[in-house]
Order: sequence, then structure tokens, then C-alpha cells
Amino acid sequence: MRTMKIEERLYTLRYKRDEKPHLEIKDQGTCKKCYEEYGSPCITACPANVYSFSNDGRMIVAYENCVECGTCKIVCPYNNIIWRFPRYGLGMAIRY
Amino acid sequence: MMKFDVVVVGAGPAGSAAAYTAAKKGYKVLMIERASEPGAKNVSGAKIRESTIAKVFDTKDLPFERIVKNVRLIFKTRETEAQITVKPTEKLYTISRLKFDKWLAKNAENAGAILITKTVVTGVKGNRVITERGEVEGDKIILAEGANALIAMSLGLRRELKPEETVLGVREIYSSTRDEVAKRFNLQGDEGEIWEVITDHPIPSAGFIYTFKDAVVIGIGSRVDEIIKNKLRPWELLDMFKEPYLELVKGFSLREYSAKIIPEQGFPKFKPCEGNVYVAGDALGLVDPLTFDGIGPAVISGSLAGSAESCESYSKSLYEAKEILKVIRSRPLVHELLKSENLSFYVHLVTDFLTSWAKGDLSELKYLKSKNILGKLVKHLSLGLWVMQ
Repeated sequence: MRTMKIEERLYTLRYKRDEKPHLEIKDQGTCKKCYEEYGSPCITACPANVYSFSNDGRMIVAYENCVECGTCKIVCPYNNIIWRFPRYGLGMAIRY
Repeated sequence: MMKFDVVVVGAGPAGSAAAYTAAKKGYKVLMIERASEPGAKNVSGAKIRESTIAKVFDTKDLPFERIVKNVRLIFKTRETEAQITVKPTEKLYTISRLKFDKWLAKNAENAGAILITKTVVTGVKGNRVITERGEVEGDKIILAEGANALIAMSLGLRRELKPEETVLGVREIYSSTRDEVAKRFNLQGDEGEIWEVITDHPIPSAGFIYTFKDAVVIGIGSRVDEIIKNKLRPWELLDMFKEPYLELVKGFSLREYSAKIIPEQGFPKFKPCEGNVYVAGDALGLVDPLTFDGIGPAVISGSLAGSAESCESYSKSLYEAKEILKVIRSRPLVHELLKSENLSFYVHLVTDFLTSWAKGDLSELKYLKSKNILGKLVKHLSLGLWVMQ
């Protein structure tokens, strides 16, 4: 069986996008510092590949892929992620 | 403002058990769920013990997937593995969360509770429950909001989990036909099988394989601090775990991928209540750290919260419930076992013992000859006896 990309796996979920991001970075500078000191644990541990650095070094948050597990909030050494639930029943839904 | 005797935040197993129990006692109950329907955001394996659910609900029409005939415990090292097959002495079911959680919430509604969905609770102040659609009043407020207990944390009833107190579970569901699942696991009718895999490779983890009616669930849980330390992406970890079992789901199609955190810390460190606010289920950290069973303790604690007359009596009743006590007592043991060196030690101990036995030469057992093994065994054995007491 070939290895599936994480994006392909996430297609199996039902998503309804909340226009207002339910995840936000408080301070971009802190993400840079965290990368140098801790290697950005949110990027490693997020099971939905929500976090990544852009070419110009900004932390990008693909919140529309979020499975709402809460891992990033727990691993962030600087408590630099504003973590809310998507509003009005939006966000991820399972089928099974 | 609408007034209720009891407002329950969350319509998962803890919330529905709380609402059901309170409504049965004649209280006016409101249940607020953030998903579009109960269960739609709830992820687990999942298995349940029928007798636990039956302590609260009438289980005659419980929507199960399969009745577990065999539980296979598999101890796995990089080199080899050993298996023990156990016939459950009581009724275990595998369940789909969407169907099961819907059924629980329906029970609460049939008992008279009102359910509103697609609504996030954003705060609690005194007896006011603030949502994104307005406020309601509750004489009693029960927080059954799950592992990410934002309200309970905002009220100071508990703190955030630390990475070393958190397991991240990722799981995939592979679907096929009922016949094909039955054939691959050698099952008849409603029979099902559960595999629980304890492994130290590549990091200490508990993997699982569950049979559904027409699907197979494969998942793995590992401590978040180990995931970070070893720089493993969660789905890669799942792929590594899955590799030896791919034949089981060959030709099946991936139906769903998802993830969930499992708290390995909670009550009594987390406060179960204060004034008119009660916390139950995952929000109170009530997941059995050995088996990852959170549904049983959620149903029991939810029901206790729903019927409690006071904060004091709730707290006391939690200590008296077998299912809750087991969770509290297992934590020190599991904390010890999950240390990398200890897990490796036991996984090797079991696999070496069984492979030596299979070979007919127990004199090869290198572990039993090592010196400080006795202290380790005694320590863990006494912690284990404390759990079983």
C-alpha cells in the first residue's frame, strides 16, 4: 500500500469552513524564537499538518485543516496560540 | 433569559449521561453541543463494556458494531512479537462514535432533556451560561466539554495538560464489506475482535486494531512529549505501526482519518466541582491510562454529576465509583510503565519469555538474570496490586 499524504487523509473528513480563523498566532516573533530554541513542536505534533513556515519565515496556520484535537495548544512552549472552537457547528466532522 | 435547573455543556458520553440522569429525576435540563450533531466531533477507537453503560442507560437497543469474541494482547519489539489471546469474561462491544453518541443523546432527549447543537459555550459566570447565540441560566452547570476543557480551565477548576500528561491518538478506518471483515478475522455473525498492541518501537506506544461491521480501525497512541522528542509526525508513526498489519486491510479503502488527545492527568488533581459548576468525563481527565477507556468513566461521572445534590457529595461519589477509582489508581503505574526504559523492559521480558518457551529453552532468558530486575518487578507489581484492589 503506498503512503498517503496527510492532505489525502484529511479529505476523508467533512469540513465546513468558518470564515473567522479559530486558531491564531499571538506573536510571529515568538514562533521564530521557538523554532530556534525548541524546533517548533506544534509543527511536529499536529496530526493535521496545520502549522508550517512560509518562505519569508512567517508561521502559517492552515486552520481549515484542523481536527480540533488541541495538541498544538498543549505543546506550545510560549502559549503563543489562541485556540478556540470553530463557531456554529463549523469545522471538522467525522463520518464514523 | 431562559432558565433551566441543569445546563450541560457538551453532548458526548459524559454530557448525555448527566442530562439523562438529571432529566429522569424530573429536572428541566438543557444540553448544549458545539457540533452539528452529537458525536460529529468525537473521536475514539472505540470499545465499551456493556455492564458499565448499563449502570446508567437501558442498553437493549445500543447501536454496537461487533461483540468482542477475542482480545489479542500483542507485545512487540523491533525484532519480534508475542501474542496472548483473551476471551472476555463480560460483554465488550466495538462502537462507532457517531452512532453511539447520537444514541446516548437521544436517550437524554427521550427522558425530557432539550438538546441544542451548533452552539459553542464561550463562558460561565455564576449561574449564567454564555454561548455565541445568547445566554441561558442554570441552577446547576455541568461541564462535559471534553479533553480541551476551555470553560473548566477559564474557571480555574483545572489547568492545561502538559505534553508528558497527554497521549495523542491517531486512527484510520478502512472499510470493505461485512463478509470480507469476517473472513479476514475469522468471525461469525456479530462477533468481533480487538487487538491491543504494546510496543517500544519506534517510541513507547499503545496501538489498536478494532473490527467494525464492515470496517477495520487501526490506531496508535503515544505520549506527546515522546512524539516531539523523536520528531515524528503523528501519521508517520501510524504508518510505521500499520506496516506489519497491512494485509488485514489490503484492498480496503480509507474511510476516515482523525486524531484525539487522551488526558493522563485529572481528578483528584483537577477539581470536580465548585459551587454550582460540575466537571465530568474527559474534561476531568477521567480516562483509564492503560486501556484508554474514557467512555465508561465519562458515563459514570456524568451520571454522578447529574444526580449529585452538592459539590461535596459529587466528589465523594467519584471516589466510591469503581470505574473512577480504577483510573486514579492506574495513573502511577502507567506513569512508571510509560517511561521508555520500563516499557522496553517489559515488552522484551514478555516477548523473550514467550519466544524462549516456544523454542523450548527458558535458560536463554537474559532478563531474569539481570541484577536489579527484582526491585523493578516488586515496585511495579505493588503498584499493579493497588490498581486491582
